[in-house]
Amino acid sequence: MIYDVTVIGAGAIGTSVAYHLCQKGFSVALIDHGDIANGSSSHCDAVALISDKAPGLDTQMGYASIQHYGELAKTFSYDFEYDRKGCLYVCETEEEYAAASAYAKRQASDGYDMHMVDAQTLQEMEPFLAKDLLGGIWTPGDIAVCPYKVCFAFVEEGKKQGLQVYPYTHISRIRLSADHAVEAVETDRGDILTKRVINCAGVWAPDVGRLVGLEIPIQPRKGMNLISEPTERIVWHKVMEFGYMMSKFESINFRRNVSPLVEEYNVAFNIEYTKADNILLGGYRGFRGFDVRSELEAMQAIAERGIRFYPCLKEINCIRSYAGVRPYVKDHLPIVSAVDTIPGFYIAAGHEGDGICLSPITGKLMAQLVAGEPTDFDIQKLSFSRFANAQQTA
Amino acid sequence: MMSREKFPDDMLVCRCEEITAGEIRQAIREGARDVTGVKRRVRAGMGPCQGRTCEKLVQQILCQELRIDPRQTGRSTARPPVRPVPFGELAEGVSKNDL
Repeated sequence: MIYDVTVIGAGAIGTSVAYHLCQKGFSVALIDHGDIANGSSSHCDAVALISDKAPGLDTQMGYASIQHYGELAKTFSYDFEYDRKGCLYVCETEEEYAAASAYAKRQASDGYDMHMVDAQTLQEMEPFLAKDLLGGIWTPGDIAVCPYKVCFAFVEEGKKQGLQVYPYTHISRIRLSADHAVEAVETDRGDILTKRVINCAGVWAPDVGRLVGLEIPIQPRKGMNLISEPTERIVWHKVMEFGYMMSKFESINFRRNVSPLVEEYNVAFNIEYTKADNILLGGYRGFRGFDVRSELEAMQAIAERGIRFYPCLKEINCIRSYAGVRPYVKDHLPIVSAVDTIPGFYIAAGHEGDGICLSPITGKLMAQLVAGEPTDFDIQKLSFSRFANAQQTA
Repeated sequence: MMSREKFPDDMLVCRCEEITAGEIRQAIREGARDVTGVKRRVRAGMGPCQGRTCEKLVQQILCQELRIDPRQTGRSTARPPVRPVPFGELAEGVSKNDL
């Protein structure tokens, strides 16, 4: 048999793309070199937010994706722990509060449900939060999901529509025809004949790209979180420091009043409570190649920053740390695109820390692209050719 | 077929998360091939003891169900801290020996 599409990578992006293609009636193979959700999608946090997105396309896609999650939660029989818990961004200083207000105002003027809350409201919403905070941004529509269960859910629901899954399958070659079009994926389990390949391999997408001679500019960017023992409830929403946004977008004009260690590891406080009663405490961003070992100093910095916002954490036990790598692209936009030079070859990768959030919408857009339908958004900005253009104009 | 008597389906394997042998077998049917795959599907080993008690048992069930060698079942990724430690102590700085 010849598959219509072969999706490479069974993380949050690949499983969603595979599911959405099955929905459109395509025959689909999903390949991964390991288990489902074995890479970045099981080494991340568990939220999908619009309140960490840049205004414009970024927010539009995030919002559409979150709405789509809501619909999937209703129709899927596999429970991926969808929880509309809302997100609070808290401000430490007048400067942060002013920047946060401007951001929230801009997002609200674009029609999103986002507004400032004052210090007193903050305390009512999160009574264990430090008492000196000035207020924050409240986004009631932001959600939490269990990231690896999202992947399992897409796979299980896809299988109902004929999805074929090839886990623990290693690709040796992607065979192209004489006219340079995708023909087959050669693996240690035999050749998979296919009309199209979609590279959804995240931080490993460059490896897959090289099989067809493409340089895909995605780098691994490390993240780390700490997990508490199951505890009494001390946090109700996703709570983050506004400095997180500055950290994410590498704003150089912004300096927080933090210890050298917190500064060194680029630690920005964020916290959430899981369905299993654990607390997830983050986070850190750094470039360490594919080294995902837990760094003790980063753990110390995350704990220190967490206690600054939730002093009661001091007495709560940490039982584990974990770290993973995010697929980082320099312009902070994912690649969701056909590759013009290789008929039948597509890329959906490079979502950095937004892969979980953007998983449903990416699957939907990619299925539209493959089907030759108009996409829900103008995704010209997400095209792979933007890198070639950048090189030519540079 | 190997005997299931040693691990009846209702036997509690992971005490922290209250996961039974039957649930672990279900995870294996859903595609888990190693300790981490089981953990991610049913939470065995995710509790306060981090699999110290159940990891060997999960490995034995994997061997039995998949007819594989114990070495092929893998282990949960080793991560600090090796024992629960309050965030307050972590924040004050810890040496490698403490964790």
